[in-house]
Amino acid sequence: MMILLLIAVSMLTFAAMSFLGDPLFNILGPVAGDTENPENLAKIEAAKEQYYLDKPLPERYARWAGDFVTGDFGVQFSTDGQPPVSGLLKERLPRTLQLMLMAQFLALAIAIPWGVVTASRANGVVDRASTFTSFMFVSLPNFALAVILFYIFALKLDWLPDTYHATDPFWGLTHRHRLVQLVLPAFTLALPGASVYQRLLRTDLITTLQEDFILMARAKGVPKWRVLFRHALRPSMFSVITIFGINAGALIGGALVVEIYFRIPGVGTAIVEAVLREDFPVVLALVMVIATAFVVLNFIVDVFYTFLDPRVRR
Amino acid sequence: MAAADANNEPLLVVEDYEVGFRTERGLARAVDKVSFELDRGETLGIVGESGSGKSVLNRGIMGLVSSNRMIEDGSVLFDGGQMVNRNRQEFWGAKIGMIFQDPMTSLNPVMKIGKQIFEPLRQHLGLDKGEAETRAIELLTQVGIPEPARRIKQYPHELSGGMRQRVMIAIALAAEPEMLIADEPTTALDVTVQKYILDLLRQLQLDRGMAMTLITHDLGVARGRTDNVMVMYGGRVMEHAPTDTIFAEMRHPYTEALLASVPSLKHAKHTRLTPIPGAPPDIVNPPPGCRFSPRCKYAQPKCTEQAPELNEGEHRYACFYPVGTDASAEALEKNMAQGHTATGLKIGLAPAKAAG
Amino acid sequence: MTDTLSSPSSPSGDPIVEIIDTADERASDTIEKRTLGLGFWLCIGWLVFICGLAALAPILPLKDPDENFLQFEEKESALTGRVTEAPVQPPYGPSAEHWFGTDLDARDMLSRTIYGARVSLVVGFAAIAFGMLVGGSLGMVAGFVGGWFDRVVSFCFLVLLSFPALILAILITSLASRSLFTIALTLGILSVSPVGRLARAATLVFAEREFVTAARTLGAKPSRIIRREILPNVMIPMSALALLGMAVSIVAEGALAFLGLSVEKGSTWGKLIRTAVNSTSDLESAPWMAFTPIGFLFLTVMALNFAGDRLRDYFDVKELSI
Ligand SMILES: Nc1ncnc2c1ncn2[C@@H]1O[C@H](COP(=O)(O)OP(=O)(O)O)[C@@H](O)[C@H]1O
Ligand code: SF4
Ligand SMILES: [Mg+2]
Repeated sequence: MMILLLIAVSMLTFAAMSFLGDPLFNILGPVAGDTENPENLAKIEAAKEQYYLDKPLPERYARWAGDFVTGDFGVQFSTDGQPPVSGLLKERLPRTLQLMLMAQFLALAIAIPWGVVTASRANGVVDRASTFTSFMFVSLPNFALAVILFYIFALKLDWLPDTYHATDPFWGLTHRHRLVQLVLPAFTLALPGASVYQRLLRTDLITTLQEDFILMARAKGVPKWRVLFRHALRPSMFSVITIFGINAGALIGGALVVEIYFRIPGVGTAIVEAVLREDFPVVLALVMVIATAFVVLNFIVDVFYTFLDPRVRR
Repeated sequence: MAAADANNEPLLVVEDYEVGFRTERGLARAVDKVSFELDRGETLGIVGESGSGKSVLNRGIMGLVSSNRMIEDGSVLFDGGQMVNRNRQEFWGAKIGMIFQDPMTSLNPVMKIGKQIFEPLRQHLGLDKGEAETRAIELLTQVGIPEPARRIKQYPHELSGGMRQRVMIAIALAAEPEMLIADEPTTALDVTVQKYILDLLRQLQLDRGMAMTLITHDLGVARGRTDNVMVMYGGRVMEHAPTDTIFAEMRHPYTEALLASVPSLKHAKHTRLTPIPGAPPDIVNPPPGCRFSPRCKYAQPKCTEQAPELNEGEHRYACFYPVGTDASAEALEKNMAQGHTATGLKIGLAPAKAAG
Repeated sequence: MTDTLSSPSSPSGDPIVEIIDTADERASDTIEKRTLGLGFWLCIGWLVFICGLAALAPILPLKDPDENFLQFEEKESALTGRVTEAPVQPPYGPSAEHWFGTDLDARDMLSRTIYGARVSLVVGFAAIAFGMLVGGSLGMVAGFVGGWFDRVVSFCFLVLLSFPALILAILITSLASRSLFTIALTLGILSVSPVGRLARAATLVFAEREFVTAARTLGAKPSRIIRREILPNVMIPMSALALLGMAVSIVAEGALAFLGLSVEKGSTWGKLIRTAVNSTSDLESAPWMAFTPIGFLFLTVMALNFAGDRLRDYFDVKELSI
């Protein structure tokens, strides 16, 4: 199923490239029309070879897909092919992954205690206030939240360094610096996620807390914090895990926006730069990489269920 | 009789204990002025239809009614200490153990059996991991689980219903409580398994000299496995007597009806069942006078005007026309003659046989 | 029957005890479910207000969004000592004249934001309308006829969902021109699968109900059953999704604009925000430029979300996430 989905996704992406306008033009931009210049002619030849443009469409797709699977993501035409897309990815991916991991970690770290507290005093003052708060975060688009957090913490309070310098090599930063510079972007991504997780966790926890085994745990004298975290939490995580996969799409979109705003040279910036340079092969490759990651992640989420619930283990 | 050391103070003294729930319709009196005593080493069967307040009474005593709409009043002395209107967490598991009706839902599905038994051992007895494991295996052996060392590494869904109930008993007994509340411990189980579990419970209770309340809707379950039986209806005690007495000379029409309505474990096939007509009382607006009057075939005008008090003594019951007395025979005759009771319940010839 | 049960509080001040009360949860749920509540109507009020402002902007007494309202001050020349009128460097902060300040070109933020709403709202509305039309009908037919058609449509929905939304939007907008039409269409395509999946699920539920079975046995044509029996019922959960979906589309447009990939002509909330935060010093010295459109966007999205949420609870729609 996952493979089928990936094939369909890649076909769609590839078809979009091929049918929306002239593929050669899509690949090369204005250069494609200028066949006088011998230098351009060479580029055209290269593009034709890279994307097998002289072959019929199915073969073109098959060959391109074959290249893609073997890690040959093509070249960046707008920069005369250097570095190749795989090189670009190698440089940009770690930052994006670091940002997203930190954001997800933060989101869970915020959502779990928050969900447990609100569920254990459902409909109390804290719970009502938090319903409102989480609603606000969910309704605040990422880019707006980024601006607000940046304004408050970087400009008004002057707590955190503003941004990366795009030229700083990633591994050149000190460890502490790397973390600190990621804090604002990570929070921007984490807060809406945390709100969503908290809502789900709260609902599921309230259901779980009505289960007999919770009463049993209490009756055998387990202290209440242990009942909440050891007995109730794990069986209440299913919705959160499910949405974790679905939410990854929003997270990727959010990461894009956040990278642009905080000028983090990650995959998101790369993709937007490529769009603005009209370097579609790069867009194509990056979209495919991201979509693949997304599909695979959702698959992993399914596997993770079995860890959470021994009953579905075979 | 296990309650032989009755010269001691009783373990539990319940007096005028009440539990109510604030509902939109008004106060629901789930337990209404209940008084009884439980000796050390005694097993008390608490019997009544579903909704008669058995669970609320027991959980109320333990302080484990999970509602912020709950109100309690009266007095419950456990080992001389007042329990009502205070946090009773220190008793849970350590002094009072509890087992629940459905072993399928009462064990944590995502936690290994072993861990669930270790918890009370480590919490209350302060055992370390190794000691807890040894003790857990002993406990599982005591409750009749084969291969205990393997079981503690399994999850609840890998065990049968009967095995799970045994595990639950082991957990409840882990910290050696002085009292065990067994709330319908076999209702969710196969008939064939029920008897083993009930006999096991009685055995463990006798071995340990522990007090126990055995809650059931089935009078037959109480037979032979309890020292005393208390019959509840609509949150009130209807009859309370030594088990033998209850079965030999029951006094309360509700007890009588209850016995006729439930298949007994022993002769399930031979008894003809007579369901109790009508439905359990509304505990927010209970019927005036005797709560059982709308369903009682002996009911007389007096029953609707005045609530009968429990009498004192070894055999307590709350009825103006106790079964087996001339008064009740007269009352029944009168109702038969007019074809209905004082509350309008139609009665014919068939139930008359059961009265004899 | 004396009321001896008078102790007012719960016997234990133990929070966990309070939660496990099934009766409580249900009671409060039903209370909330009976009415849509004041919050819902406040949200609808705001939506009507902002839509009205946007629609009627040209005939309302608003300032021209493109006019430069330069302010002058008297200045004494250091050289000649002559007093002249010199323009003050914009942006100007909020004042009685400009409630929400002006931008760098001394244009009124309030009217720019209201005019920006026109594009943002139209895009949001058109996108979800497209999603409803295409996704809704595909999902309904798929749910109704079942078989291979259902499987193909469901798979297509799944494929569309396999793209992170913004990535798919970028892919399309990067290949086509960035006109109002393409942007709206792109966001419309994005909303096809969530809407379609809901429509399909709802149809599956209703196709089993008696009134549909009855219509079938009476020999009604499938197209008629869909129009007359299923559509009205599926519309109920869809209306909640329409509000939520419109919020998503407005936010997505904002994100595209923020990335510089939204409509090339005209202003939208996203574009206003992007312009305002382009330079850190502008944000620091003239935060109103960013926070005015952010505020309007936030209130609108929150109103849509809240109203959609209430509606969903009201009709008790389960299958609505994603
Ligand atoms: N949390 C609660 N809120 C309101 N009423 C309750 C609550 N728990 C139990 N009750 C009511 O108390 C009565 C007694 O219930 P219960 O003790 O469970 O009966 P039994 O165990 O005898 O079947 C029932 O009428 C039930 O509806
Ligand atoms: S005879 Fe009267 S008092 Fe006795 S149980 Fe029947 S109704 Fe109640
Ligand atoms: Mg019960």
